[in-house]
Amino acid sequence: MRRVTKRWGQVATRGTGDAEPGRDRAIAIAGTDAGGRAAARRAQAEQREGRVAAGLSELERWLADQVAQGIAQARQTGLADWDDLARRLVDAQAPGVAGTVARLSRVLHAEDWPGLLLGEYALLHLLAVAHRRAAALPEPLRQTVRARVGFPVTRESVLATAAVRDHWDVVGSRDEEQERLVARRVWLAGRTTGRAAMVLSFTPAGQPPDASLALGTTIDADLAFYPGASPLRALVAERYGLADAGPPPGTTVSRVPALIAEVLTADPWADSWPLVLAGVVPCLDGLADEEGNALPLHPSAGVPWRLLAVSGGRPVTVAAEWTPRGLLPLTTWDEEGGVVRL
Amino acid sequence: MTVPWEELVCAALVGADRRGVPPESLLEQAAEQVVRTRAGRRPGRGGPPAPAAAETLPLVPGAAADRLARMLGGEQGRLLTEWLETAAARRVRVPAELIPGLLDLGARDRSIRAYLGAVTGARGRWLAGLNSAWAYLLAEPAHVPPDEVWQLGTSGDRRAFLAALRRRDPAAARDLLARGWGAETPEDRTVFVTILADGLGMADEPFLEAVLDDRRREVRQAAADLLTRLPESRLARRMTARVRRFVTRRGAGVRAEPPAACDAAMERDGVRARPPAGMETRGWWLQQVVAHTPLSFWPGHLGMPPDEIAGTRIGEWEREVRMGWTRAAILQRDTTWARALFEAEPLTDLLAVLPPEERSQRAAELVAGHPVDGQMVMMLGGVPRPWGPRLAKAVLKKIVETTRTQPWNAGELVRLAGERFDPAMHTRVVEVPELAAILRFRFDMLEELA
Repeated sequence: MRRVTKRWGQVATRGTGDAEPGRDRAIAIAGTDAGGRAAARRAQAEQREGRVAAGLSELERWLADQVAQGIAQARQTGLADWDDLARRLVDAQAPGVAGTVARLSRVLHAEDWPGLLLGEYALLHLLAVAHRRAAALPEPLRQTVRARVGFPVTRESVLATAAVRDHWDVVGSRDEEQERLVARRVWLAGRTTGRAAMVLSFTPAGQPPDASLALGTTIDADLAFYPGASPLRALVAERYGLADAGPPPGTTVSRVPALIAEVLTADPWADSWPLVLAGVVPCLDGLADEEGNALPLHPSAGVPWRLLAVSGGRPVTVAAEWTPRGLLPLTTWDEEGGVVRL
Repeated sequence: MTVPWEELVCAALVGADRRGVPPESLLEQAAEQVVRTRAGRRPGRGGPPAPAAAETLPLVPGAAADRLARMLGGEQGRLLTEWLETAAARRVRVPAELIPGLLDLGARDRSIRAYLGAVTGARGRWLAGLNSAWAYLLAEPAHVPPDEVWQLGTSGDRRAFLAALRRRDPAAARDLLARGWGAETPEDRTVFVTILADGLGMADEPFLEAVLDDRRREVRQAAADLLTRLPESRLARRMTARVRRFVTRRGAGVRAEPPAACDAAMERDGVRARPPAGMETRGWWLQQVVAHTPLSFWPGHLGMPPDEIAGTRIGEWEREVRMGWTRAAILQRDTTWARALFEAEPLTDLLAVLPPEERSQRAAELVAGHPVDGQMVMMLGGVPRPWGPRLAKAVLKKIVETTRTQPWNAGELVRLAGERFDPAMHTRVVEVPELAAILRFRFDMLEELA
């Protein structure tokens, strides 16, 4: 099972910043000796840099055009425009940006869509400019920019970095189907380091996804992080065992703003971060501490009835995904310490 | 110095060109503000709900809770009602995280609400207070009869209280009801009247006769339904006087003529003037008058015993008169009439009037002589669980036969048998694997709840 997942994990990484095996194979066939292969790979990489740079400068011009002409028509013309633009960005080998553009249509559901859309355009603009000036950026931020643009990072290079060993609580997971693949995000929280991590895996739709990280368990493991200014995505490099540790420790509502500010200072494009909150009372539209300070839920989350049911109006531990528009509850722990997926 | 966000949005909407702003500069300012706003967001004020009351019932065992979660996810979903019924009888509660899913089901399916009232405990009622779609739960008894429940309890608690009192002391229950009658809601009045069915007697007649003047049709009708069970009641006498003119002996047969009008006196006695869609108006009146006439009236009036009456041709309006008698047999729980009418036409509803042993026997006979079709499945659907050995044997034989000859036709019968057979039979039906699987599931399910 694991082997299958792994194989697909590599094939399925278009748009997620991993290597592209199909392309590698083509190069391997083209070049016969080792030196030729390396040269071919270099040429290929240079070609890609050129295509991405051209694609992103076209994006910059497109964004400036939109804002110059006015975005009032986006509701009518947006879907077709973004589709077209996303396709051109895929051709330009910038799958990360292409994905962001393809997801723009989500803002149209909101009442304040003009503000949300301007925000998204502004961050895309920032990304294109940052890529253009990448040479001047500190290395971690440059890596973040390249990852967001969609440059591949191989598993091998990630596994070659210094790993972080900790007791990692598996605090949340979510599956999302995209193009006949199920993308599974598993969020982890380190007991000693206090670090957050996200392990991404892909499985063809209809097959059981990778179940090696079970919600509610705690694993003693080495995690290798993908490079970046605010690293979150990680691989399990080595597992030492399963620790029986009970519900994870959590932070408080009042500490969340500083934590998020730190994440965004390092990576202004961050739009997802896992949080474990202890002692929060779920409300109909947010999570409150006992002083009544509340973090709002994402509008699409609806009323968190299961979470409310478990809490009964009393403080509980909740794992949630932070997003710019509010929290998406992931997990809670009941009175008996049992894990409840939300 | 910083341009307000709203102004940036405005400029972007109408176009930076028209505002004379370089678009790149607008995008850069916007980017800076978006990140600053996201990073600088302070918590707002939240209004957490008041905490739920403490639970009084023990939690269901873990294996049973896991099975319930799987059933809510779709596995053997048709057996959910039995799970809930059993758990309610065992006086255990379900894990909190499963309550919202159950309450959503209850919002669509009234038949499980009484069980939900019992198994969702204090947490269920707390959630029902937060979500109007679940408010129905507050009308269900909660297994916690506090003191002074009649004055202060929820609607469901008061119904349970009245039903218990009625069982102990019918007169006291009626007097309690009569004292505060005017202050009750129409929904409660309707249910309270039906509770008087238990231990019904002529002592209740004056109260029920007065209820016929209620403003609500549902309340009047509930009272009329009970009064027809009392042949000495004034309503029974009025109905008899009416029907005497509409249904008469004609030679060897019977002739029917529907009422020409539905007057106010008839409406007061529970006759609904407006027919259901697709029904002829006068025939509808006739059917209701027959349905509300004491069955003991007919043998004397028509000069025939019930079994002969049930087999007689009537000619025009035959359908309406038969439906009236059927309804009367059910309302008046008259086994003689139910048996006679069932002989003439095997209607499921009539089986419910018969004692369990006989019900099982008659259903078994019917199964043996009929092909598997929608009508048979519907008839069997009216026979509650558990099916006696005789019926189970007949149905199993039918399933085995049908599986051999018309396998596509056996599915619904197999599923119904799975729900109604004694689950201990799971080892004795191996020739029908699907049936064995359902029975095995129920067997384990009931073990976990024991």
